[in-house]
Amino acid sequence: MAPFAAALAVVLATGVAVLATRWLPTAVPSELTAPERVPFLGGGLPEVHAWSRYHVRYYAMALLFLAFDMEMVFMYPWAVVFVEEGVLALIEMLMFIVILVLGILYAWREGALRWA
Amino acid sequence: MGVIRRLATRAEAPVFPVVGAGGRLRASELALLPGIRLVGTPRAASVLLIIGDLTPALVRPALTVHDQLPSPRATVWWPVGADRGLLQAWPGLVTVEAGDAEGLRRIFAGLVEGRRASDPPLLLDIEPARWRGEGPYGQGGTGMTGGVPFGRPLPGRAPDPDGLELDQLPLHIGPLFPPFPPGLVLDVALQGDVVRQASVGENPFRSWPGGPDPGPLDTGAFVEALTTPTGVAELELSRARHHLRWLADALRVHGLSALATRVARLAATLAPTDGPEVEALVRRLRRSRSLASATAGVGAVDRPAADLPAGPVARAAGAGDDARTDDPAYRALGFEPVVHHGGDARARMHQRLGEAVQSLELAGRAGEAVRAPGPALEGPRGPLRRGRPTPSSALVALVPTALAGSEWGDAITTVVSFDLDMEEAALSEVAGVHS
Repeated sequence: MAPFAAALAVVLATGVAVLATRWLPTAVPSELTAPERVPFLGGGLPEVHAWSRYHVRYYAMALLFLAFDMEMVFMYPWAVVFVEEGVLALIEMLMFIVILVLGILYAWREGALRWA
Repeated sequence: MGVIRRLATRAEAPVFPVVGAGGRLRASELALLPGIRLVGTPRAASVLLIIGDLTPALVRPALTVHDQLPSPRATVWWPVGADRGLLQAWPGLVTVEAGDAEGLRRIFAGLVEGRRASDPPLLLDIEPARWRGEGPYGQGGTGMTGGVPFGRPLPGRAPDPDGLELDQLPLHIGPLFPPFPPGLVLDVALQGDVVRQASVGENPFRSWPGGPDPGPLDTGAFVEALTTPTGVAELELSRARHHLRWLADALRVHGLSALATRVARLAATLAPTDGPEVEALVRRLRRSRSLASATAGVGAVDRPAADLPAGPVARAAGAGDDARTDDPAYRALGFEPVVHHGGDARARMHQRLGEAVQSLELAGRAGEAVRAPGPALEGPRGPLRRGRPTPSSALVALVPTALAGSEWGDAITTVVSFDLDMEEAALSEVAGVHS
């Protein structure tokens, strides 16, 4: 019964989504004049195109996140052999984490974690 | 009429305010009116509410904002002070007595029920920068990212502190940007969300051919006291009220709308005995960590406090000048100026609150004491001296250097923390008699 109900829910949700995407554009009037489509700047008007290349300032944080994400990947096989290897495995993993933490401390000291 | 429509008429009317000449005090009462919801963008509003008179330079921005309201929409005018007739030509304008929330609600209900036709767009349907597309989907030119798009020109580039060449987006924000004081036009160059350069644009309240014609200024009582004997208690009560009104606006910008409404209500009914309530408010704001992180270290003015224009902004940076120190009426009350240190947005907030508490205490003790007319009087934004520049015009000059290099959110906090009034800044000097 449960799989059938789940499938029905998926079909219903899809149907509603399809109908909504068909109906919404007709329900919301789209014949707006050019001044009605202008973005709100407190009464001002845009001069340049909105395509603008800006500095992704969180890139250092993103790289740090990736480093620790990959560390988690290494932890899966380590967890499998942890019981066999015992304390030795724990020490090896601690050494690995210490090396990564040193990296964080260095990035912190260099100001890489400041937002702007 | 369907059930949904009937329910919708009972909803709060979403109102976008356009504050013209003389409308600032009225606008500060808006949040207290029942059945009205102030919205921060015209896209969320049904009613465009023009408060006060439009100056020539405000007409075009008001029309722009009008067309940005989604249909069904209506335009309502609350006349305040002088009416120089520019609004008479506005098509479909409904005049409602200033402060009449019920009249506003009736117009909103008419819109929802369909009894009232939506305002037509007022600007001509001309695309300012036509997109001349190439390719099957009009996606632009050639090249990896579709090439150079047509339409508006692309932003220019400028060096970044990290040594990169990045786009710099020039924007003119205002004069109807709700977080800013009404009339402030900020020309900024943004790299991402960092303000690289900022300057203050032409003041729209200066655009009358015969020079600015002040409506009822929010510091009018102080300007009047320069020439007429005024009770110290009355003056100090208006000062405390001014600071609390500023606080209500600032809290709304910081997203604390419920607290802002409470502060605005306190300001509207303020009495000298309300000192403990204001002190409780101060303690509450000191405890708020979100407010602390949004204001601490933000908007610090990079110059010695002695060079700042005198007033609460300079006193928040440690300069103790206060025109009340030399005033015999205040000396008799043992007046000592309140001073804070740091000179950032947080210090300015606590400076104003400290002055509000002190003003209430003075108002309670002053009794019938009267201040004789004198050449200088400490207004809520700084000293008022006849024939000298107004405090706001000196504060406006601080904006460009204070904003350069800050993030956009901090830039808004900084502008708000200066407590500018563009109508006051439009006056070349403090007038002897308030007209």
